[in-house]
Amino acid sequence: MIQEKPLLPYWEWFLQFDADRWGALWHFFISLFILAAVALLLGLLIGAILYGPVKGGEKVYRVVANAMREMVAFSPRRIWAIAKVAMQEALRRRVLVAVVVFVLLLLFAGWFLKTDREPAKLYFSFVLTATSFLGLFIALLLAVFSLPNDFKNKTIYTIVTKPVRAGDIILGRILGFTIVGSVLLAIMGTCSYIFVNRALSHTHTIAAQAELPESTSYDKGHSHPLLVREDGTVVAEYEHNHDHAITERGDRYVVSQPLSTMQARVPQGGKISFLNRQGAPVAKGVSVGKEWGYRSFIEGGTQAAAIWTFDDIDDSVLIDEGDEGQFLPIELVVRVFRTWKADIETPVEGIIQLKRPGSDLKTQPEFFSAKDATIDRKFFPRKLVDTNNEPIDLLDDLVNEDGQIEVVVQCLDRAQYFGFAQGDCYIHLRDASPAWNFFKAYLSIWIQMVLVIAIAVMASTILSGPIAMLFTVSFILLGFQRDFFVRVATDAQEGGGPIEALVRLVTHMNLISDFKNQNIAYKLMVFVDDVLQFAMRTLAGVLPDFGEFNTARYVAYGFNIPANQVAQQLTIGVAYVIGLAFVGYFLLRNREVAK
Amino acid sequence: MSENVVVETRALSKVYRDFWGREKVRALKALDLEIYKGEVFGLLGPNGSGKTTTIKLLLGLLFPTDGEALVLGKPATDVAKNERIGYLPEESYLYRFLNAEETLDFYGRLFDIPPDVRRERVDKLIKQVKLDAARKRQLREYSKGMTRRIGLAQALINEPDLILLDEPTSGLDPLGTREMKDWILELRDQGKTVVMCSHLLADVQDVCDRIAILHQGELKELGRVEDLLKVEDVTQVSARGLSPECQNEIRDVIARHNGEVLSMDNPTTTLEELFLSIVRDSEARPGRRVVAQDDKPTDPKPTPA
Repeated sequence: MIQEKPLLPYWEWFLQFDADRWGALWHFFISLFILAAVALLLGLLIGAILYGPVKGGEKVYRVVANAMREMVAFSPRRIWAIAKVAMQEALRRRVLVAVVVFVLLLLFAGWFLKTDREPAKLYFSFVLTATSFLGLFIALLLAVFSLPNDFKNKTIYTIVTKPVRAGDIILGRILGFTIVGSVLLAIMGTCSYIFVNRALSHTHTIAAQAELPESTSYDKGHSHPLLVREDGTVVAEYEHNHDHAITERGDRYVVSQPLSTMQARVPQGGKISFLNRQGAPVAKGVSVGKEWGYRSFIEGGTQAAAIWTFDDIDDSVLIDEGDEGQFLPIELVVRVFRTWKADIETPVEGIIQLKRPGSDLKTQPEFFSAKDATIDRKFFPRKLVDTNNEPIDLLDDLVNEDGQIEVVVQCLDRAQYFGFAQGDCYIHLRDASPAWNFFKAYLSIWIQMVLVIAIAVMASTILSGPIAMLFTVSFILLGFQRDFFVRVATDAQEGGGPIEALVRLVTHMNLISDFKNQNIAYKLMVFVDDVLQFAMRTLAGVLPDFGEFNTARYVAYGFNIPANQVAQQLTIGVAYVIGLAFVGYFLLRNREVAK
Repeated sequence: MSENVVVETRALSKVYRDFWGREKVRALKALDLEIYKGEVFGLLGPNGSGKTTTIKLLLGLLFPTDGEALVLGKPATDVAKNERIGYLPEESYLYRFLNAEETLDFYGRLFDIPPDVRRERVDKLIKQVKLDAARKRQLREYSKGMTRRIGLAQALINEPDLILLDEPTSGLDPLGTREMKDWILELRDQGKTVVMCSHLLADVQDVCDRIAILHQGELKELGRVEDLLKVEDVTQVSARGLSPECQNEIRDVIARHNGEVLSMDNPTTTLEELFLSIVRDSEARPGRRVVAQDDKPTDPKPTPA
């Protein structure tokens, strides 16, 4: 599964207000408040230095009073007028070239994107990455040079001498460029969708012979084993993440287009825990070398196990297969680590069982051959047998009072390892619409684009074009590396603060060992680092986590993007636009337009 | 501030500073001005005397270092005052990718003018500044004169009470200059206040009621044009059909009264008048060379004494 961090319900995420966590809304207000306070203090300080305390104070008061008045005076008609001119400007600057570049990219992509293994993943990653880079780049270029150009050409003179509020200019620009960007994204999205669909479409043939062959023809790097059902119909087995329908036409079989090239699985994740080789509960499995690796491992042929606990198990989770009864659809991704490789073709064997939490009741182990890093599907029927061969019912016997059930996975082969992370096992609830999922991925890109536009417009209110671009790009890059940035700021990263890291780098020192000589230079370094880290922590408070916005991997791996997540992203986007518009307003309003 | 005062500055000063806050130049030093409703006021001075700085301060494009500027009773930095102001910048800084109609419509929207009124005004102004034939052409294709005219039109889109013109006639040919001056006088006749700055003295003299002369950021002279230019001890007479004898007789009369004849000759017209009459004639009768003697201007200006 792709969803790693558990997603809070929207309203809890937005409004929660207690000791554990403050919701996003409060975080927003606090940030705005701190920003306002800092700006006010800075304004007073600069005012006092330039004009003396009394006059400086008066000027700051006037700025704030003005802002209060102008905040309510914005007019949709003015904003729309400015948006329209921004759009015309974008068109004049040949923004449509981006579409041509994108289409060319798609036209030639087919030559280079050849893969037999999981083509959907490759194609989706490709189109989504291409769109997002191209889209963000165009948005950046448009937004960042627009206002500085107006200053350079002095067209801004005739704008600000009309009753236009600085807020109108900023909101109008954000709106205009957003509309242009949306149109671009819509065109790119449509092209991508058609491209992926066409690239993935294929069919197989079945040799016309007296006896049904074992499998279909080998096309696009795979073939499907054929099965004859009891009622005589022929089905192609699930292979390469899709299956085909087969119809009998006269004496021939016709294979349809793939039924599910694009998937949007809705998973229900569980909580992972481990047993060590003696069967005692531990927080993590063993490491097979990568100290900070994402997965931890269980050893084969021992009592080591990975256990997922799933909540809310009831009738609604099971899928109904009509006559065949109800099933619990579990999907599992196994990472195989081999310590010996006598025969690489031989799969490593494992078992999977369902268990009632808090008791010893378990189902008969089900054996499986682990294929490395592919999704394995296990359908557990409602009627099962336990380890004593007694019949049990999945819901009545294995689910405890709290609605929980456990999935236990073990590796059987001695000295081989299975690696798991929390997201590797999930209940496959149902499939959402892949087209809608694709749209949601584009919505995420769209939000990123709006963010880039807002940051760029804000920066360009006082900076010249190239500098504003540098600022915006740095902001975005920092946003993508936010986790690392926060770790450095909070001293959680080995190697210390920025200066200390620099010293270690230059003096070829490792990350961990202490400084031998804790002299005045060392103390100075630590002091400067403390100041920098404080500044970094403050900045981190308003730094958007761009990595979080990347939902391309959901689509690539065939998972549904939770609507909740998109809603949260949208909210974050709106918050940033509001915050940046505020900052931009003050910057633009209090700069001298003329020179 | 009395009802009649449209613009008032009190000890208005502007110091340009560099990035580090060091003083570069004192562009304006404690300017005190009052401009009244319905007059055409001219700011005069050589390049770098602070004319444009004053206009920019009045518009809020610059913030005063000291003192204050009140425009229509509001501080110059208040955006709300712009509702009743029209501004024609030194060069018309307009979006060159828009055409005349789009330009005026855009600025009309910035005044929040409803669509029907906007359409009507755009149409009226385009006709007024004689750009009817070029209304659908992008401004990048416009000549200097046309750009000026569309600039004036955008300044008038809100039917302003106060119009600020920065070098309105610079770069215009005599025909354009005359048109611009006529428009300025027309605006005055409509009861609007016009503030213009220029270093083209003849133009200022033609249209301004009052002028202020600035030099090195200081106000050097302020008053009504006719008062400032009046030469108290010289009398000027102009007459038609005098014979040489009669002229001699007049000389004698002046001499008898202890007066001094400074000059007595046939007046020349201004070059502007000549130029305009030739162009007009050429328009009326294209393809014919104008012979000066045949087409003496009908209303020659008297030579200044």
